[in-house]
Amino acid sequence: MGEAGEKSGSWEPKVVAFVCSWCSGLSADLAGTGGEEYPANVRVVRVPCAGRINPLFVAKALQSGADGVVIYGCHPGDCHYHTGNLSARRRMALFKRFMTYIGTEPERIQVSWISGAEGFRFAEIARKAVEDVRALGPVKGLVKETVS
Amino acid sequence: MSDAENKLREVAQDLLSTGRAELVLGYENGSLPMTTRPCFVRSAEDVQRLVWNEFCTNNLAVYLPGLFARPANLRGEWVPPKVAIIVKGCDARSVVGHIKENQVDRERLTVIGVPCEGMADPEKAAAGAGGNALADVCLACTNPTPEVADIMIEVKARPAAGDDRLAKIREFEAKSPAERWAYFTEEVSKCIRCYACRQACPNCYCKVCFIDQGKPRWAGAGSDISDTIFFHIGRIFHQAGRCVECDACVRACPMGIDLRMFTVKLGEDVKDLFDYVPGLSVDEPPPLCAVDRDEENLNTEL
Amino acid sequence: MARGSMKKADFPKLVAAASENAAFVAPVDGPSGAEFAVIGPQDDVLFDFGNTKLPVKRHFFPQSEVLYQYANDEVRSAPLPEGKTILFGVRPCDVRSLLQLDKVFLDEAYVDPYYRERRENTLVISLACKDPAEPCFCTSVGCGPAAREGSDAIVFDLGDDLLFEAVSEKGEEFIRSQAETLSEPEAELVEKAEKAAAEAEAKLPKIEVEGIAEKLPGIFDSPVWQSIADRCLSCGICTFVCPTCHCFGIHDEKADEGGQRIRVQDGCMFLGFTVEASGHNPRILSGQRMRQRIMHKFRYTVENFSEIFCVGCGRCISSCPVNIDVRETIAEVMR
Repeated sequence: MGEAGEKSGSWEPKVVAFVCSWCSGLSADLAGTGGEEYPANVRVVRVPCAGRINPLFVAKALQSGADGVVIYGCHPGDCHYHTGNLSARRRMALFKRFMTYIGTEPERIQVSWISGAEGFRFAEIARKAVEDVRALGPVKGLVKETVS
Repeated sequence: MSDAENKLREVAQDLLSTGRAELVLGYENGSLPMTTRPCFVRSAEDVQRLVWNEFCTNNLAVYLPGLFARPANLRGEWVPPKVAIIVKGCDARSVVGHIKENQVDRERLTVIGVPCEGMADPEKAAAGAGGNALADVCLACTNPTPEVADIMIEVKARPAAGDDRLAKIREFEAKSPAERWAYFTEEVSKCIRCYACRQACPNCYCKVCFIDQGKPRWAGAGSDISDTIFFHIGRIFHQAGRCVECDACVRACPMGIDLRMFTVKLGEDVKDLFDYVPGLSVDEPPPLCAVDRDEENLNTEL
Repeated sequence: MARGSMKKADFPKLVAAASENAAFVAPVDGPSGAEFAVIGPQDDVLFDFGNTKLPVKRHFFPQSEVLYQYANDEVRSAPLPEGKTILFGVRPCDVRSLLQLDKVFLDEAYVDPYYRERRENTLVISLACKDPAEPCFCTSVGCGPAAREGSDAIVFDLGDDLLFEAVSEKGEEFIRSQAETLSEPEAELVEKAEKAAAEAEAKLPKIEVEGIAEKLPGIFDSPVWQSIADRCLSCGICTFVCPTCHCFGIHDEKADEGGQRIRVQDGCMFLGFTVEASGHNPRILSGQRMRQRIMHKFRYTVENFSEIFCVGCGRCISSCPVNIDVRETIAEVMR
């Protein structure tokens, strides 16, 4: 799986991106229509709002083999549901501290605020996340051995 | 200690005979040396069973959500019972949490507070530590006197401790991620998935715990270390902003997993990021239920 | 019946010799207390311990095990466990629990192949108890500190000396095979062992369980069950540390390309143990679950297997966070 790939030099990081349906979704679409390239390593999961993200989604992604998780939400103050991203900010700040404390590399979990017009930034954040995670190597911590 | 014991029996007697309480939750002597156990006193004749000593370690607040929840199989009228509960400082903080989370009927709950002198660690006591047998969690206690009490027993509490509880945390934080993960996994690998930590925790009152949900399933039920890690990450993080560090989970764990290392850190982060300590004030909203538009400082955490 | 004695200080030699053909598993000091682990001659074996924190059933009926895996329409049964083991230092109560578990897992109608394989490939050498402590009560349920039934050999810790006594043919073979380290014991050693056993037995309390199986059905509806279980947290520790509890659940775990079916130890004291597909839970009250546990161990197993499924090890008593004491429960029932 991940580690075997690393040995043969062909490992590609897998990054799961949780993208909110409003600003983040718009910027993701804009990245697409604007031809902003970002690698296929990023797999997008759409949620209505960053506030919907249960920290266990992040843990589950890591357990399932994601080497990194990126969360995109609207800029604080611009949330379509008014306070969803504010809740997410509190929650993810605490969760990231906790995960880091128990030994997860902090760059594996990233949260970014983005506006609907920032297509270039959506792609930029995605590219950087992939490179950050590539530098860290395949996730070892939480991964569950899958049936082969 | 026997002064408090007599007063508690008097109070319980009074509450039961006047009908102000139908049930008094307290402690009675256990069947093993140096133990007490939770005691459900329902009639004035039984108040003699109540004791108060340095082994009254259980957090009785764990029973409250169950007592005030409507029984699932029941049809028709149901009135919540009138419950009185004996609490130490830490237990009272759990009760504050329950009040905030609407798990108790405040009108029907009488809180009997006992300022705590600290509870003994049976292992230390058995090893002959004498006066130095206080449990680690009590040595680091910041709130020995109950913050909420309808009736306060007049005894002196231990003085609140300083920041001893963080020393181990700071030491741990200085280690590398790999070292920290290794420690965490090693501790968690002792887990036999008995869920005693969850059951003993007053905050864990979900009707169906996330780990027991099957549609879809969060993590497996087997002893695969990855699933066990997932359970502990989930359970401990569900305490964010709620855990009062009463150590009920630590005491309940049959395998001696060092849960304190993680619960204390969580409490510390909540204090650091939101200037909030769970269980001190009934009016303060829990941090993860409140929002603040202007917390730019949190952006650096992300 | 073969016997052999050795100096305790020479124990590593025995381990070295015996480990040539089998994994040698013995009690060691672990992070949570005494536990069984595979050892080599250089490891410190515990002789002075009450009992292991977790029961020996885990060696034959693990916390969880894979039954089969499937991927791309192909199903693969988990391979049977391999390799011979010498399980040393098992207390007689835990040995007795194996005899009881045999009745469940080696039933004529259906034999559990994984359990059987482990059972057949394991030599059980028990360690007699010198100093039984609270809360043991094995003699009340038909066991004893030097009970031999079920082990292949029993060992007596006589201070500087160890006395081995064969119980089964496999045990005889083992003692003969260790002629290098074991020598014919002096008569006084044998006497010393018998005396120690008698002394140990005298220390144990007698709990009245005569007739409990007959009494139980009559008190099915009694409120005594809820009063015993009022403080029960339904944490399940008692079922996990019990040597004879054997309930398990089957879980299917799906991964991307396939999945696996696993068997996991379960406990009747969990709130959700009897939740039905409709959502109804016939044992939603802790008193109902407590009643079930006691009836299973002291009545239903008597009906099914002619035995009380309790070996008096006392683990449930010392591990219960709210000090629910089965000795008190038994006394209540008998009343």
